[in-house]
Amino acid sequence: MSNEVIFWMLGVGLGIWYLSHQAGRLDRLHHRIDVTELALHGQLVRRGGIVAELAAVPGVDPALSVLWGQAAHEVLILQEVTQRSLVEDELTNVLLMTMDEVEEVNEIRTNEYASQLLDELAQVCDRIVLSHQFHTDAVRDCLEIREQYLVRIFRLAGHAPRPQTIEFDDQIPPALADSRIA
Amino acid sequence: MKIGIVCPYSWDIPGGVSAHVHDLAKALIDMGHQVSVLAPAEFDELLPEFVVSTGKPRAVKYNGSVARLSFGPIAARKVSRWIEDGEFDVLHVHEPLAPSLSVLACWAAKGPIVATWHSSMDKSRMMLTLAKLAQTAMEKVSARIAVSEAARSTLIKHVGGDAVVIPNGVDVSMFNNARPMFGWPGPNQSIVFLGRGDEPRKGLAVLVEAYPEIRRHLPNVRLLIAGPGEPADELKKLSPSDRASVTVLGMVAPEDKASVLASGTIYVAPNTGGESFGIVLLEAMAAGVPVVASDLDAFKRVLDFGRAGLTFENENSDDLAKVVCDLLANPGVREKLSAQGVIRAAEFDWAVVAQRIVNVYESVRVPGVKVEPDLTGQMIGRLGRGRITPEPRGEL
Repeated sequence: MSNEVIFWMLGVGLGIWYLSHQAGRLDRLHHRIDVTELALHGQLVRRGGIVAELAAVPGVDPALSVLWGQAAHEVLILQEVTQRSLVEDELTNVLLMTMDEVEEVNEIRTNEYASQLLDELAQVCDRIVLSHQFHTDAVRDCLEIREQYLVRIFRLAGHAPRPQTIEFDDQIPPALADSRIA
Repeated sequence: MKIGIVCPYSWDIPGGVSAHVHDLAKALIDMGHQVSVLAPAEFDELLPEFVVSTGKPRAVKYNGSVARLSFGPIAARKVSRWIEDGEFDVLHVHEPLAPSLSVLACWAAKGPIVATWHSSMDKSRMMLTLAKLAQTAMEKVSARIAVSEAARSTLIKHVGGDAVVIPNGVDVSMFNNARPMFGWPGPNQSIVFLGRGDEPRKGLAVLVEAYPEIRRHLPNVRLLIAGPGEPADELKKLSPSDRASVTVLGMVAPEDKASVLASGTIYVAPNTGGESFGIVLLEAMAAGVPVVASDLDAFKRVLDFGRAGLTFENENSDDLAKVVCDLLANPGVREKLSAQGVIRAAEFDWAVVAQRIVNVYESVRVPGVKVEPDLTGQMIGRLGRGRITPEPRGEL
């Protein structure tokens, strides 16, 4: 009889330990998602800022200026988080379109200030690719645990909203990277 | 940016990981960042000022070689105090699965954490066990870097997730103008080996086995062996006249490494496995010395698949002898390899590599968010605190 009691107590104890262990893991993963998401947003806003500045550089082709200015503006005034993918995609698109040939980029680079901004832009684009990957990794790790049977039954995730990857095209305009080396 | 870097291996003995951390820290400081490195070290007074020691490391067998690591409650306590005091923007741990400071640091911290994976391990079962044990620590890591494709595929296969590949860096300027040691290579040709002589996977045995054959073709060749560890056991297998042509230098200071490499007509890396990158190869190349290496994947990549150095079949001393004899007999090929090697090594200069690592830091960093102590992970540290009277904070 007493053996049986000890057996059950051990079992329940182990179960509680396991659940609290999983809850701890979830907590850490949610924290990681928060940090990586903030970092990604920071880099995206920086990209918008640099492109907006680039659009305002005196002497830049007015057509480019309008395209850049508009796309960057959309990023910078973003209110609805659900629209983020859309506006970032658009900005990436504009950059890919306007910086698809090295000669074109070198043309822009004749202006010293614009050239400096392009260097910064290349750095930021590189960081966005990294940030994006790290955020997606964190979300994937978290979802893997959240989908476990016991985790769902016991609602270990609490009220934390289900994490979502942020989908957008993070391609770096090839001419931008190449012209930097030249 | 304030950056905290954790090196799990002893600072006293130059090795791949600790050298990487040292050079990275210096490159970051040159770029204007504030850097603090935490590492096990026995001799406090010899440390550069950016290094904080956790005390004398212990020798443990790990991943096929003897590693000098630091662990246990005292180390854990020092780690968490270093994190508390450091107020870092980014915490960068190296080789997070080694049972040493890195995993302790992951345990004790939360916030933007970056981890670099150096080794590729063949022993998958050990990796699996380690990964499971360290899972809670690994899950806090926001960004993962692998120093090579081999290290990256080990990570994907055994731990899951992905990593960005950023190769090791070389301080090219230190090796570009290296002068050979006095009297070397001399009127005759010489072969240089650099690495632990008493560690099987460094492959000295393969070279020693090939050596008599090389001497049969080129009787005046000399062999220079440098690195910690006593190679006497291996050298016993040589005939007295062959043995007489071997010079054993023992451990060399980092600043002498360049001239040791430059003392060779060629440099031979007969490593049999467990290498994920091959930094010494790049250093020899930067010094303009042609390289002959075993055909490990990592080495083939560094040597640009034969364009910047030659390979022989791993663990095959006959093949090694043949490749070495051909190369020593052919100055034209040596000249071409030497020129290609210098160009190839420049692609791995620290200035280039460190900038890429900073991009990773920036991609996980959030202005205003610091690396903080994470109390939930500090069970070992708390046990340690109970037993040891705290020392004044200033001393750390």
